Amino acid sequence: MSTQTASKVPEGKPADWVPAGDLQEVVDPEWLMHEAPRTTEFITGSEAAREAIRRCNVDVAISYPITPQSETMQQAGYLYDEGHIKEYYRAEEEIGTMSAIAGASRAGVRSLTATSGPGLMRGLEAISSWPGARTPVVLLNMCRVINTPLAIQPDNIEISFLLNTGMLHAHGENQQDFYDYTLAAFMVSEEVDVTLPATVSVDGFFVTHARGHVSMTDPKYKLPPRDGWRSAVPAMDNENPPARISRDAPIQKSNFISYHMHASWQQEVFAAVRRSAKYWRKYLGDLIEVVNPGAKEMIIASGAAVSQARECVRQSEEKGIEVGLIKVKTIRPFPEEEILNAVQGAERIYVPEFNQAGWLHKEVCSTLYGKCKADIIAGPRVYGGMTMPTELLLDWMAEGRKDNPSYTF
Amino acid sequence: MSLANLTPSPGFHKWLPVEYRDLVEHGPYFRDKKPKVSDMGKFKEIVEEHPMCAGCAMTLFIRLVFIGLPTPEHTVIVGTAGCGRLAISQGSIPFIYGNYGDTNATASGLKRGLEVRFPNQHKDVVVMAGDGGLIDIGFQHLMHGWFRQEKFTTILLDNEVYGNTGGQESGMTRQGQILKMAPRGKKTGKIDALGLAKVSKVDYVARIAPTNPARVARTVRRAVLVAREVGSSYIQAYTSCNIEYAIPTPDVMKDAFDVEKDRYGFEEIISDRAKEFLAEVEKKDKAKK
Amino acid sequence: MLTDKNLILTRAEPNGNGGVQFLYKVAGYGVSAINRPQEEISQLNWELEILKYADGESIKFEVCHNTDLADKTLVFYNDKSVNEFLEKAFSYFEELGSLENMLDK
Repeated sequence: MSTQTASKVPEGKPADWVPAGDLQEVVDPEWLMHEAPRTTEFITGSEAAREAIRRCNVDVAISYPITPQSETMQQAGYLYDEGHIKEYYRAEEEIGTMSAIAGASRAGVRSLTATSGPGLMRGLEAISSWPGARTPVVLLNMCRVINTPLAIQPDNIEISFLLNTGMLHAHGENQQDFYDYTLAAFMVSEEVDVTLPATVSVDGFFVTHARGHVSMTDPKYKLPPRDGWRSAVPAMDNENPPARISRDAPIQKSNFISYHMHASWQQEVFAAVRRSAKYWRKYLGDLIEVVNPGAKEMIIASGAAVSQARECVRQSEEKGIEVGLIKVKTIRPFPEEEILNAVQGAERIYVPEFNQAGWLHKEVCSTLYGKCKADIIAGPRVYGGMTMPTELLLDWMAEGRKDNPSYTF
Repeated sequence: MSLANLTPSPGFHKWLPVEYRDLVEHGPYFRDKKPKVSDMGKFKEIVEEHPMCAGCAMTLFIRLVFIGLPTPEHTVIVGTAGCGRLAISQGSIPFIYGNYGDTNATASGLKRGLEVRFPNQHKDVVVMAGDGGLIDIGFQHLMHGWFRQEKFTTILLDNEVYGNTGGQESGMTRQGQILKMAPRGKKTGKIDALGLAKVSKVDYVARIAPTNPARVARTVRRAVLVAREVGSSYIQAYTSCNIEYAIPTPDVMKDAFDVEKDRYGFEEIISDRAKEFLAEVEKKDKAKK
Repeated sequence: MLTDKNLILTRAEPNGNGGVQFLYKVAGYGVSAINRPQEEISQLNWELEILKYADGESIKFEVCHNTDLADKTLVFYNDKSVNEFLEKAFSYFEELGSLENMLDK
């Protein structure tokens, strides 16, 4: 047995120091999400993330700075100092960060990291191997321009790079979502029949560096801890019979078995993404939110574009025009059924986005192809840090009402 | 892992492969007196069957590493692409095989995670990877793991070439050596990884060739114990590639002796605090005997 | 947190710059308070404009820089000072409203 003790007081803390996390009460996650009394504050997205992390019972957090994410993992550092997080360090860069946090998750502990655009790109090799390794990790992603010329502005093109990794992915509209989705992401990703990493993205600056209303539960409550024994694959803790269990050894060799194994492994990862839907529903109510169902003109949006769309719906209503809105909360699993049901009766669908590629438009098109008669308009889109005034959306919709319904981007 | 975890239910016992039963009954786990190198052939080793080339010195070295582990039942190995993992992954110790060069970052998170989860049980983390994996692509993580004084052991299997991809020069190849991607001979010299370990204040550093099996096992034990209690540890082992360097199979050990004599002599660089710790441990070991 | 008193609308900042806009209305006048994202979080602030609404129903308004309250955009760095200003503005608007009513009559 070890000479270590469970409650070693860290250097610089008084001898009677008690980690703040030990003073919190573990509560049922559904109660925490839906029933626990809440109070509302007007705070930044980074602060909302901090308050979520405080309640998430995180074991290991690994940080690396990048604008606009830095603020959040700095705050995680303070939470570590207070004793809400058990282990924390600043890594060398993002491949190091993303590899190390996967190592922590393989140890069977609750693991958190965060990044933004170019950092996500740097860490992508490691990140894209998380789902296959079945490592539940929560990655907070504050979207930022990734391409040259260099910029730090909001642009969520990076989400397109994560779409087919096998990772769960929620896209928050505002500070409130950043708080709620983070709590939900830990719970969903650690479900036995899911056992996958989850990303919670928000649009950088618009959410992280701006204030919004966030209703939160009492900080004395926290989520139940991760149970390292409850997992679709065993943790790498040498607590299982060491019968050459290395999960990937037989897949290394180029033979017919390896192809089949890899194929079935991938099938299982993507099946697990689908299975996660029921848990997301449990915590987020539904995978989409619908405003004015049945409207002939619908907007489908995720992230900060939803806020602009809401104002567009309101202003249209002032003019007596009914416009509908579908807010997509989870990008993976993509709520295909829900969207399909919500667009019945729509004639024109707009997909406003903060990126050039239009990844959400492509997702919507492939979901609705052959199943919906509406014109699906590719836009409006802004990118590189451009703003999306409500007027832009209103103009596009006015244009769409003219004789030419095939008007596209 | 406890012995109960390893032991099959009596009803299943006879249906399990003989290798598994041998591991339970004659393996190196949970023994008061761990089997030594001199017991080879008399106990079930952690790795036996493997797909390595005939005569490969790296394979011998890996077998000896497994014998040297002080607590194999609480050890996790982290590796990466390269020849070594073909043998390591056949070992009956959990093996993480990640992206190329991610070993020392992965091990950092893993070790810290295990310490959080098992505050009363030492879990040893050992990285075992090649010269390409550690000194080229994984260099940054190797160095930063050392700078952070991460408490795990790194074992560099130095065959001075990218063996698994078919014989390209690596940072650890010697100057002038003609290999693939070095058609006119390598322009620069072998990277002084031992020197880097030393200036990074690694607590236990050793250079070794697999010429003296008992010494290999002892060195591994020392490195793992130092990582457990003191700080980072690093072993750099000459494990020749008889294919890419065209060493005739019967001459592999002769080459090991020659290289050892010429430039790979056994050397330990131990910090004062690690020396103090090892003296204490070895005094206790002697008292036990 | 800003006061809910006389708050008629909270919405995403409509020019698309991010952040939120709070619209207050008293006796045909009002205040717009906008909190935009800042690269430096310590620079987060409230930009306040005095407004004159076009009619009683919709939220059409014009920025009004010729009251005694302010002749330019005002910047506040904390919620408390905004709330204090709003209280002052509300009573000013009420007074102004009743004066205008008297003039109309």
